[in-house]
Parts: sequence; C-alpha cells; structure tokens
Amino acid sequence: MIAGSMLSYEGKKRAVLLLIALGVVIWIAVDAAAGGSAHWSRVLVRLPLLLTGSASGWPITGGFVLNIILSIASMALATVLGTIMGLATLARFGPIRVPSFLLMNFLRNSPWLVLLFATLYFLPFEMHVFGMTIPFPPFVKAVIGLALPTAANFSEVIRGAVQSIHSGQWEAARSLGYSTGQIYRHVIMPQALRRMIPGWTNLYALLMIATALATVTGIQDVLTILNTLLAVENERVIVYFYLTVLFLFIAYCYPIAAIARRRERAVKGESL
Amino acid sequence: MFGLDYSWLADPAYQQWLLTGVINTLKLATLSSSVAILIGMLGAFGLTLRIFWLDALIELFVEVFRNTPPLLQMLFAYFTLSSLGLRVTDPSTGLSVPLLSAFACAAISLSLFGGALAIEAFRSGIETMPRSIIDAARSLGYGRWARFWRIEAPIATRICLPALTNILTNLFKTTSQASVITVPELMYYAGQIYNDTFRTLEVMILVLLIYVVLVSILTFAMARLEAFMAFPGYGRGH
Repeated sequence: MIAGSMLSYEGKKRAVLLLIALGVVIWIAVDAAAGGSAHWSRVLVRLPLLLTGSASGWPITGGFVLNIILSIASMALATVLGTIMGLATLARFGPIRVPSFLLMNFLRNSPWLVLLFATLYFLPFEMHVFGMTIPFPPFVKAVIGLALPTAANFSEVIRGAVQSIHSGQWEAARSLGYSTGQIYRHVIMPQALRRMIPGWTNLYALLMIATALATVTGIQDVLTILNTLLAVENERVIVYFYLTVLFLFIAYCYPIAAIARRRERAVKGESL
Repeated sequence: MFGLDYSWLADPAYQQWLLTGVINTLKLATLSSSVAILIGMLGAFGLTLRIFWLDALIELFVEVFRNTPPLLQMLFAYFTLSSLGLRVTDPSTGLSVPLLSAFACAAISLSLFGGALAIEAFRSGIETMPRSIIDAARSLGYGRWARFWRIEAPIATRICLPALTNILTNLFKTTSQASVITVPELMYYAGQIYNDTFRTLEVMILVLLIYVVLVSILTFAMARLEAFMAFPGYGRGH
C-alpha cells in the first residue's frame, strides 16, 4: 500500500508491464525446464538463418536483415516519389494536379499485397534502355511494389503538413515578392518538414511491417525462410519459431513507432 | 486494348469465382470490422477507467498487434492454434481436425489487428475532446458510465471518424492477405484464375480495380456518414 502510493499512475503501469515481461521470462524458463528446452535449442540453432539467411550468420543473403534492407530501400524510393506526388497534388495547374490526385488515391485505395503482385507481373524480367540491360530481380520488384503505396501515403503526409502551415505565411511571403517556388523552398518547406517527420517515421514502421508481404515475390526474407524451416521441423516447434519471428518484428518496429508518437506529440504542442 | 486479353471473363465459371471471391471478401471485412470496432470501444472505455493494470494490459495488446505483420498473425493463428490443442475429433472420420477453419483464423486475427488500431484511434479521440465538456458533465452529476455513453462516446466517435475510416479501409485492404492461408476470397480466386488462364497481368489489373472500387465506396460512405453525423460548429459541421 505504501509502495503503491509512492508510485505515480505511469509508474504503476510500467511496473505491471515489467511484471508481465518477467512473467514471460519465467514462463519460458519453466517451459524450458518442462521439456521445451529442446524446442528452444532448435530455434537457437536456426536463429542465424532467420536473421541473415545463412546458417553461420555471414554472408547476409536474406532473413530479417533483408527485410530491414528492403524497408530502407523502399522508404528511400517512396520518399522521392512521394515528394514529387505530394507537390504535384498541391499544384495549381489542373492537368498536373488532377491526374496525380487520382493516382495517389488509386495507390492509397489498393491493397499492398495486390499492388505487390501487380508490380511483380507488370515489370518485365529485364528492360532494355538505350542498349543497356536493366535487370529486375525479385528484390528490385519488391522494393518498387512496396514503395508505390508508401509513396502515396507519404504524399498525403506532405499535403497535410504543407496545408497545416497558416495561410498568413503564404500571404506574407507573397507580399514580400517571393515566387511560388521560393515560398515553398524558403518559407513553407522548412516549417512543414518538422511536421512531416512523425508521419514519415510512422510510415516507415508500417512499411517495415509490410515487408513481410515480400515473401510472395520469392525473395529469401524472414517469412520465406520461416516457411522453409517449418517444413523440416516438427509441429510442436512451429509455435516457438513463430513467436521468435513475431518478437523480431516487435523489437524492431515498436521503438520506431514510439519515437514517432513522441515526436508527434511534440509537434502537436507547438503553435504557429 | 493495350494487348490485354480479357476473353476469359466471358467464361461463367470465372465470373462465378470472381463473384464468390468478392462476397467472401465482403463477409470477412464486415465481420472483422464489426468485431474490431467493438474491441476498440471496449478498449477505449477500459482506458478511461484509469485502472493501471488494465491500462497496461490494453497497451500491451495494442503494441503487440500493431507492431507485427498481420500476415504473420494470420499464419500464426492458422498454423499454430491447431497444434496448441485447438483440435476436435471429426465424428464421421475419427480424424483429429483443426477446430478453426482458415476463414475463422483470418477473421480472428484481422479482428484483433483492427481492434488494436481502433483502440488507439478511439483513445486519441477521447483525449482530444475538450476537457470543459467533461467537467460540465461532471458538474451536472453524470456518473462514470453515463458520462462515457452519453457525452464522451458520441463526441469522440465524431472526432475519430476520419481515423476510423483509415482503419476500416486498412482492414479491408488487409483481408487480401487472407488468401495466403487459403481463405477463398477475391485474391485467392484471382490466383486460381491466372493459374488456369495464364493471363496473370490481366487478372491482377482487374482485381486491383475491383479492390480500388470497393475501397472507394467505403471511403465515400464514411465521408457521407461523417457529414451526416457532424455537430454544427464542430469539425466538419462548421
């Protein structure tokens, strides 16, 4: 009771979460003692394979690290495409604004999995441009397939951030004789950038989660490896493998999402 | 047009498959959306009670389901729930079969995934509500439940309708992933059709269009609902 009254509400909540974490550790220990250790050792043997795609942990040919690489490559592409698309939807010139708006909504309204499949079949195996041969291995297709919906979502983030800048800023800059391009570059973007960082970070966490879909392109990502492994392991061990992979995703995505939320609160608090 | 061959669409068998697929997709989406909204309301109500251990449990639930791929959740439900003991003995054959069908597994995991997102949306809706309204309700003598049901819920629902639209469209799009665990929905039949006809690109374009149309209808309906429910002087009611 005394200890309880000394802790704040947040402190008590954290204590409960800590207790749950402790409970999970104890459960694992008890389970291991009760015969689960054989299962856990199977997982431990396969862990380098799940993480890097090779049994010894090096070189990196797939696994969870490939998911991370895929998410970073996709995010880079999505940031570029999304910026172009976002600014295009803000354009005053109708023939630019309307098609890009339609494209953005099309991409935002289509399921990630279907879009990934469509990219997979739409893009050729390789492309010949000016005598050069650009190959499209499954990894590149996965990067593009995941970048498309992410770009559409990012363009929405950009739109939101630019539109959240008070119209007085526009009027002030215009009365000072800035051109539209200059207003974007020197007045709007520096302020909007701060406001888009939480949305961008959040989107990255979403994209990382969506990289699990890349298994349909046949690249050796963590899910492909998991499914291959499960074919050779017995049924009881499957649960342990799934829990391990679920934990990998939580361990990577939760801190990123938490940072995004904290930033969001900080940005929300700031007035014009 | 553009060298695309849609002659297979004339085949009644494929039309039937597409129709069944769309119906199953709608069933899955409706079921999991309803349960997700219910979970979201219960969770958000639980959070307003300010009970620290309940708060911690709800936060754990939200973070686990939000930070793992729904595809992985579905695979987990499909492949491991049966090995964890959820099996029944089929009386006609005497074989041990999984208690939950693929559809049930997909519905359960999508409901939980959507529920986690909905809790978060409703929570932020309640949080952004003006404190003065709650204080006014308190001073008028509203009890805990009446305050939630009559004051907080109606206002919070309207505040978080845009977020709810996002969640419902997200959930609708995620139903396509149920095809991976062989739930016979639209995406699953798409695979069946292109395995039959080898018209991969044509089938994918058509399915993509069907999804976009369905999701657009959902978004449109939600926008109408938002306009219909708006309080004068609040948000869209300006």
